[in-house]
Parts: sequence; C-alpha cells; structure tokens
Amino acid sequence: MEREDKRWWQVLNGPQELGRGRVFWCLFTFAALGLLAYPFVGSVFALSNFANFCLYVPMGLGLALLWGYSGVLSFGQSAFFAIAGYVYGIISGNLLDMPGGTLLAAAGAIAASAAIAAAFGYFVFYGQVSGWIIPLLLLVLSLILETFMAQTAGYQWRVGSVLLGGYNGMTNIPSLQIGSSIFGGASIGFYYLVVSAMLITYLGLRLLVNSHYGHVVTGIRDDVERTRMLGYNVNLMQIQVFVVAAALAGLSGVLYVSWGNYINPSSMGLLPATLPVIWTAVGGRSSLLAVLLSTVTLRWLADSLAVKGGEYAFLIMGILLLVTMLFFPAGIVVTLARHWLQRKPERRDLKKNRAP
Amino acid sequence: MPTPSESDGVVVLHAENLTKSFGGIRAVDHLNLTLARSELRCLIGPNGAGKSTLFGLLSGLHRPDTGRILFKGEDITNLQPFQRVRKGLCQKFQTTRIYRSLTVAQNLLIAGGTHTSNRKKNEKLSWALSTLGLDSEHEVSAGKLSHSHQQWLEICLALATEPDLLLLDEPTAGMTPEETALTAQFVVNLNRQALTVLVVEHDMAFVRYIAQSVTVLHYGRIFTEGSLDEIESNQEVRRIYLGES
Amino acid sequence: MSLGYLVSLLYQYADSIAFLLLAALGLMIILGVVNVINLAHGELIMMGAYITTLTYHRAHLPLPLCMALSTIGVGLFGMLLERFVIRRFYDDKLGALVATWGVSLILSQGTLLVFGPSLESVPLAAWTFSYGRYSFGGYRLLLFVIAIAIVLIAWWVFYHTRLGVRTRATMQNADMARALGVNTRDIYLLTFGVGSALAGLTGALYAPTTTIVPLMGNQFVDVAFITVVVGGGANPIVGALTSAALLSLIATPLSSTLGTFSGRIGLLIAALVVIRFLPRGISGYFQDIRYRRMARGVS
Repeated sequence: MEREDKRWWQVLNGPQELGRGRVFWCLFTFAALGLLAYPFVGSVFALSNFANFCLYVPMGLGLALLWGYSGVLSFGQSAFFAIAGYVYGIISGNLLDMPGGTLLAAAGAIAASAAIAAAFGYFVFYGQVSGWIIPLLLLVLSLILETFMAQTAGYQWRVGSVLLGGYNGMTNIPSLQIGSSIFGGASIGFYYLVVSAMLITYLGLRLLVNSHYGHVVTGIRDDVERTRMLGYNVNLMQIQVFVVAAALAGLSGVLYVSWGNYINPSSMGLLPATLPVIWTAVGGRSSLLAVLLSTVTLRWLADSLAVKGGEYAFLIMGILLLVTMLFFPAGIVVTLARHWLQRKPERRDLKKNRAP
Repeated sequence: MPTPSESDGVVVLHAENLTKSFGGIRAVDHLNLTLARSELRCLIGPNGAGKSTLFGLLSGLHRPDTGRILFKGEDITNLQPFQRVRKGLCQKFQTTRIYRSLTVAQNLLIAGGTHTSNRKKNEKLSWALSTLGLDSEHEVSAGKLSHSHQQWLEICLALATEPDLLLLDEPTAGMTPEETALTAQFVVNLNRQALTVLVVEHDMAFVRYIAQSVTVLHYGRIFTEGSLDEIESNQEVRRIYLGES
Repeated sequence: MSLGYLVSLLYQYADSIAFLLLAALGLMIILGVVNVINLAHGELIMMGAYITTLTYHRAHLPLPLCMALSTIGVGLFGMLLERFVIRRFYDDKLGALVATWGVSLILSQGTLLVFGPSLESVPLAAWTFSYGRYSFGGYRLLLFVIAIAIVLIAWWVFYHTRLGVRTRATMQNADMARALGVNTRDIYLLTFGVGSALAGLTGALYAPTTTIVPLMGNQFVDVAFITVVVGGGANPIVGALTSAALLSLIATPLSSTLGTFSGRIGLLIAALVVIRFLPRGISGYFQDIRYRRMARGVS
C-alpha cells in the first residue's frame, strides 16, 4: 500500500510541470486554504467577481494541455465554451420542472462540445494535417457559429420552449441546482463550486501530464512518427486530448451560464476565440500553474479595463500577445519563474560564504 | 564471444511473394523470406538491392504491391505500423529518431520502459542500459548524447516495446570498431534471450561477429542464403559486390 | 430552367471565384513561399479599404488612384511586418500565427479607436445591365476579370521571370537556394510585400460593395482560410485556382438556394472532407503525384 502511495505522489509531483517539491506544495496548500477561507472575509460582490475570473480556468488549462503538452494550437476553445453554454440553456430551459434537470443539462452541454470536438478531430487528426490548418479551421468555425447565432432572432428560432435569441442571446438560463441549493452567480455555493472545479482540474491535469499517458502525449508533440513506431495509436490519442480540452472549455461554459444566466453570440466570435490563446501564451503554455495564474490575472485585468476604458481592452490584449510572442516566447510567468529558480542556488552560496 | 542461440524451428516471420515498385523501379521482386524463432539473421547486399524497402514492407511503412506477411501465424499485411509494433514487430531505424529535447529517462518512459508493473521487462531493460553504458545518463537530454549512445538508446526504445522480432537497420553506422564489437556482443546476448533478430548491415566485421545465417539480396530478390562461411566463399556473391552482375 | 437562370448562376459562380481568388491569393503566395500564415490578412484587406475610402473622401483623388495607393501602402506595411515580426518566426509556424493574430487585434482595435465604428462608403459604379428578369452588376464582372488577370500575372512572374525562378527555388529548398546565391531574405521580404499588396488591393476593390467598418476583414478571412486549406501551399497559383473553382462550385448552389450561412457551413464541411483525404490540399496532392512518379525506391 505504501508503495502505491509513493508512486501516486511521484506522479503528482512529476517533472512535466513547473513547481515541485515540499516548498511548492506547502505554498499551494496555503493558497488553496486561503481560497476556501475567502468567503469569510470577502463581500458577496467580490466573491462573485472572483468566481467569474476563476470559472475560465478549466478552459485555459484545457488549452495548456492541448497546445503546451500536445502541440496542437486551437482557436476553437471559446466555440466549445459557447456551444456548451447554449446547449445547457436549451436543455435546462426545457426541463425547468424536472429536479436535477440542470445537472442533466450540464452533462449534455459538455457532451455536445466533446462530440463536436470528436467529429472535428476525426477529420484533422486522421488526415494528419499540418499544424496551422487546425487553428485556421477553428477560427472559421467560430466565425460561422457567431454569424449564425446572431441571426436567430425571432420566435421561429427555438428548440422546444427555449428561444435562441439572435443577437441578444439567450436569457433567463437557470443556474445549476442540486436539491434545493441554487448555484447562482452571487452565491457562496457557486464560489466554492468554481474554486473546487479550478483546483480539481489543475490537480487532475497535473496527474495526467505526469502519467505514462501524459508522457506519450508529449512524445507525440515532439515526434509523431517516432511515437507511432513505438506502438501508439497516435491519431486516436490526439483526438482524445482534443476532446478533453473541449470538455474543459464546455465545463467553463456551463459555469459561466450558471453564473450570469445568459449567453449571447459575442461569446463565440473571433475576439473571444483569442482570449484562451492569450492567457496560455502570456502565462506559458508549458506549465499548468502558469496558465492558471495568467488566466485569473488577465480576466481581472480585462474586467478592470471594462470599467475604466472598455474600448482599449482588446487593443491591450493584442499588444500583450505580440510583445509576449516576440520577447517572452516561453510565457511571462514561466520566464520569470525560471529566472527566480535559477537565482536561488546563488543566494544559498552567498549565505554559506558569509559564515565565519 | 557467445554464440547465437539455436532456433527451435517455430516460424516467426513468413513473407511470401513480396513485390514493391517505386515509379518504374522494382525495389523488391517476388521475395520470400522465412525466419524461425530465436534466429539471428543478417541481410546483406549491394546498394540498391532492396534491403531498406524490405524493412519498410515488414514494419508497415510501405504497402506491398503483391504478396503477404505472416507474423507469428497472423496475416499482418494490412496492419498499420503501430499495430505491428503492438504485436511484437519493432524496427530500429537507420537514422536515429529519438526525442531529442527530452531526457533519456523520459524517452524510455514514453516507450513504456519504466512501468513498475512488468518486473521482467524492467530487469531486461536495466541490463540493456547498463551494458550499453546508458544507465548513468538518465537525466541527459537525448539530443546531447554521442552518436553511438543515441543509436543504443534507440535500440533500447525498441526493446521497451517488448518485441518478438527486432529489425535492426544498420545499427553500427558511424560507430568505432570498439563500439561495433560491443553492439555485436549486445545483439548476440539479446538473441540468446529468445529474441528473433533480423539485421541489415554493411559492416562485414559486425556480420562476422554475429552471423548465424546470412541472406544476400540483389535486385530485390534473394540471391542466396547460408552460413557466413558459405557466403564468403561464394564467387557469385563476390561478383555482385564488385559490380559485375 | 431558363437561359436567364443559367446565366445568373454563371454570374454568381464567377462572382464567387473572383471573391475567393482575391481574398486568398495574397495569403497563399505568402504561405507557399515564406511558409507562414499571416492571421492579420483580414486586417490588411481592411487597411486597403480604409486607405481607399479615406483618400477618396478626404483627398478627393480619383478612385483608381486611391486603389493604387491602397495597394502600395499595404504592400509597404506588409514589408515592415515581415521585417519586424515575421522574421523571428521562420521555423515556428504556430508562433507566427499567434503573433500575427496579436497584430490583427492591434490593427482592428486601433482602427476602431482612431476612426470610429464606420466610415462613409465609397460609391459603387452603377454599371448594371439586365438579361430577362435578371440584372447583373458590371463592377463585379470587372472584379472577375481583374482576379483572373492577377492570377495570370502571378503565373507569368513565377514561371517566366528570373525572380520567379529564384522564388520557386526558395520554395523547394531554401538552404540549397542560399548555397546557390539566392538572397532568400529578400525573397521573403518581397513576397510578403506582394502578398500584402494583394490583400490591400482586394480591400480597395471591394470597398465600394460593402460597409467600411474596422472588422470588415472578417467577411474575407473565413473564405480565404478555407480556400488556402483546400488549395494547399505547395503551388499557390494552382492551389488558388483549383480551390476557388471547386469551392465556388459547392457554395454557389448552396447559398443561392439555402442562404449565405448554408454556403459557408458547406464550405467548412467541404474543407474538412478534402483535408481528411488530401491533407496537403489540392496542390499538395498534385505535387505528391509528381514526386511519386519521379521518385526511385531507395534500398
């Protein structure tokens, strides 16, 4: 039994992620406890805002897995986010009287995103297309979806009893509900739901990337043919990772509509398609933790800008993206972390030299 | 120098009537090849004889125009390369293709080499790594290894897939005589552990070290087969190597 | 099915081919030679439209001159882009994609901030003529002629000039070309400039037909991207022509019967099916056939 635990720990603490060892995990636990204790000191408004930032983390981490560890760049995560949001709205809106209807809707929404991802993935991964084709076609998909949904105004555009809503989108989407607890945007329950989703996604993905499967995925990124010749069904594995990333984007989508009770086509277009890419590039796609931190930070930044100068938001995002790609290709957080980690042994040596 | 093991006669690989043309050139021409379990066979022949194409057909990189391939009694002619590896047929390529930016340990992990579940495989791999001097380089980036160590790492990656038949395409290319001898010894030891091995080689010193049986290819056909002594004393073989065909 | 209906279909087909060719050719030439995808392509088209509109309304220059200024202006901007951004991503195609997306955001959002949500339109030449109960716009037919002319010029440059030979050498094997004295850096710079100029020209040419808004590039890029994916970068000219012809064949009946959305979704599905079986696009497939015929087996 002890040997099992030790291996589990080795996998969690494994080499494929920045941040390992006792000090890191102590800080991590401290931060996690802090997050869990926040509701005791924070106002409802602050909690709700913070939850809004954190609900995007699963989507960001999904792209980190897909792009950083598997080498596939996707501009389609926001499409899967929004598809899940709309499907959740459709299913839950039609099952208003059914207890557990929202949970069914959530499952259906994530499944819908996963299914579309699987279909798309079949064409591109079994065709073994060049890397640039995937982001291009996903951009086209995002654009088509946005254009389509924007013109679904009117009573004829509905599924069951739920109107698609056209340019103004779908409103009155019910929040997730378990029993009599409603996880609405301003509730403490929702805050805990989001924080749990964030932490579980992070730890789960950390386990995944350090497992044997995760290492093979990294091998696929570095050399597809080589991995094939070691006996792995590369096409299938690429689809699997793509579907996981889409499902995580879908999870974020479900959390989003549960928070705000609405969704509209502007969540689907080209501009929102950029956001996960920016979070991942600025944080550093090779590290899950870096992407987690950058997602929350950049969401906070966008939110602050929306108050003081919303029209500058995407301009600043564009500049940030260009500057990062030109000068910090590994990501700003990752570059800073590497610098800091390299300087630490120097400091220890200095301390030793100073001893009498 | 340990001798290769005796085969027990069970057929591991049976390729019949294989033909492969590229453009107008017939690289492999109605070729038949049979390997028995625990055999250690060398495939030699002048450049252009069809050796690499034959390997490509066996590992699945090329589809044959005619013929079929039976591996352990099963028809694998229509299987994808990765499916053949799963069945136990693994090739080590002529040009090294390792994960250059990953460490030796990570390379092996991907090939499935350090799973605690299979003790026997782990022991075999540890033995292989220490014999070849790779066990002290676990954390070295594979791209920074010396050329011969990269070749050996590649053989270890192939071993990690637990093959029943190992195809080695010019394993000693670019090696010094000492490294060639070490590789030869290593391959013979592998064979003694009931691994069937088919080797393509140009280096006659290596062939002499290990050869149990030799097949000579010429113009995509099997020219002759036999023990090394028989081949070396064959005037016809000398002629095709010296260019008079 | 009357003759008028057939003529109308032909007109829509030609119109669609012109749109795809003009939207995609610049992007494909850059992909084929420099081997990068410029995600700011839509914004370059937008820039072309904006320069035309601004010079027409503020400087009161004749429209063809405005369009020429667009072409040159965007071409020069493209060269700046190549020099300061693209150059760093020669062997990192995905990186080039992301970086140019950043540029695209800066351009579109910057234009919104500086020039506001829209500009006054440029007048469309009213050269309509009718056949039976169908009417056709002469301007759009002119665009078809211009598109074909540009393809012919590009073909001529690629295959009948020394610059074209050097460019093709760079496409096939840049290292070898350099060893033979070809200045590949300048080729990349010039190609990016030409590809961008084509984008600028497209924006200028279509400016009279649409509203001038900062995000107008979007309506061009989704068909441009699909055309590029289906055509492939192996041979930009063959790829652009065959892809535009094939995709228009699919899109024209779909959009005329079921609407623009069905046309676009049909194109995306067509693109997915094509790349499943021809992963390098149509021109890549042609190239593979040629190479297979030429190749000898190595043993």
